[in-house]
Amino acid sequence: MRYWVGLCVLILTILAISFVVAANINVLVPSTNVRTLAEIYLKYTYYPWDKYFTAMSPEACTSIVWDFRGLDTVFETMVFYLAIIGAIALARGVPLKLPKEIKGDLGLSLIVKTVTKIVPVLIIAVAGSIALHGHLTPGGGFQGGATAAVAPVLILVVFSQFYLLRRGVNKNSMLLLRSIGLTGIGITAFAAVLIGLATGHYAFVLQNQPKPLAPDISLPAFVGGQLISGSLWFFNFFEFLAVAAGFTIVFLLITLPEKLAEAREEKRVAEGGEK
Amino acid sequence: MSYGEAVLLGITALAAIFSTIATYMAIMERDLLKAVIFSAIQSTIYAFIYYMLMAPDIDLVYIPVAVGLYPAVIIALIKKTTREEKP
Repeated sequence: MRYWVGLCVLILTILAISFVVAANINVLVPSTNVRTLAEIYLKYTYYPWDKYFTAMSPEACTSIVWDFRGLDTVFETMVFYLAIIGAIALARGVPLKLPKEIKGDLGLSLIVKTVTKIVPVLIIAVAGSIALHGHLTPGGGFQGGATAAVAPVLILVVFSQFYLLRRGVNKNSMLLLRSIGLTGIGITAFAAVLIGLATGHYAFVLQNQPKPLAPDISLPAFVGGQLISGSLWFFNFFEFLAVAAGFTIVFLLITLPEKLAEAREEKRVAEGGEK
Repeated sequence: MSYGEAVLLGITALAAIFSTIATYMAIMERDLLKAVIFSAIQSTIYAFIYYMLMAPDIDLVYIPVAVGLYPAVIIALIKKTTREEKP
């Protein structure tokens, strides 16, 4: 009874707020006209006629995220990796290795496994296309990485964790992949400065196309006739690697069988190891 | 506003109400596994709403995180603790 009363009150509140907003639509709802800042972003996102302000990417979101507001995204990336480091630090000392005592087939039934053999391939393919086309169509590095991370989660649940560990998908290999991604993001951010130092020109950190104060340095917008939007493609690719690997580490640690870890810890202490 | 736009916005508004109902059911449910499923239903409806509001970039990150990874984390957590919420 209380359940249904609560639900009715909730829905009536929503409808009342909707009614008030709809009745005062001229006051409460902002105008649908595009505002000046949005106009500038939409105009310059792909605008080869003014090379000093364009990001050379037809995808407005990616050009804002990695070019116009690139520094914000670098800090966001930092926050995400601090969270991953926190998860790894919580599971410190927990060995993520293939135990000798477990043999044979693990996981769910044959029907589920057969279906799951096909699906992760498709997930990885879609994720790669989301990430590598991130500067052309909706999507980008984080989106692609998060999509790719669903594949190992599916394998973890259906085939068990040891299936991944046997094939080399463990904490260290994923940490390596994640570090490659982060290093790549750093190198791409400093690429224009490094080119500037080598050629003796003035350049900015996180610079993509030429700027009024640094007109001589730019990253190539086209490679072999294909639009790669300068630094945007590299940012998307390295972010894809780092996010996919980061999520995979967290899921490997979360799904670790606790009894196994405890038994191994007891054995280690019994053998004279430190507690 | 054309007739088609009004219909699409109406569908979006209905979806929003259903998402609120799903959230309410997720909060009130004592069986935590069912609560996760209700929460995932709410996430699915949100993904649809993001699509209708022309935010495909948000949608592409929202679907794997909120429909795939987040329920997986919570279900792993429930498996390691208890399934019933104590009153």
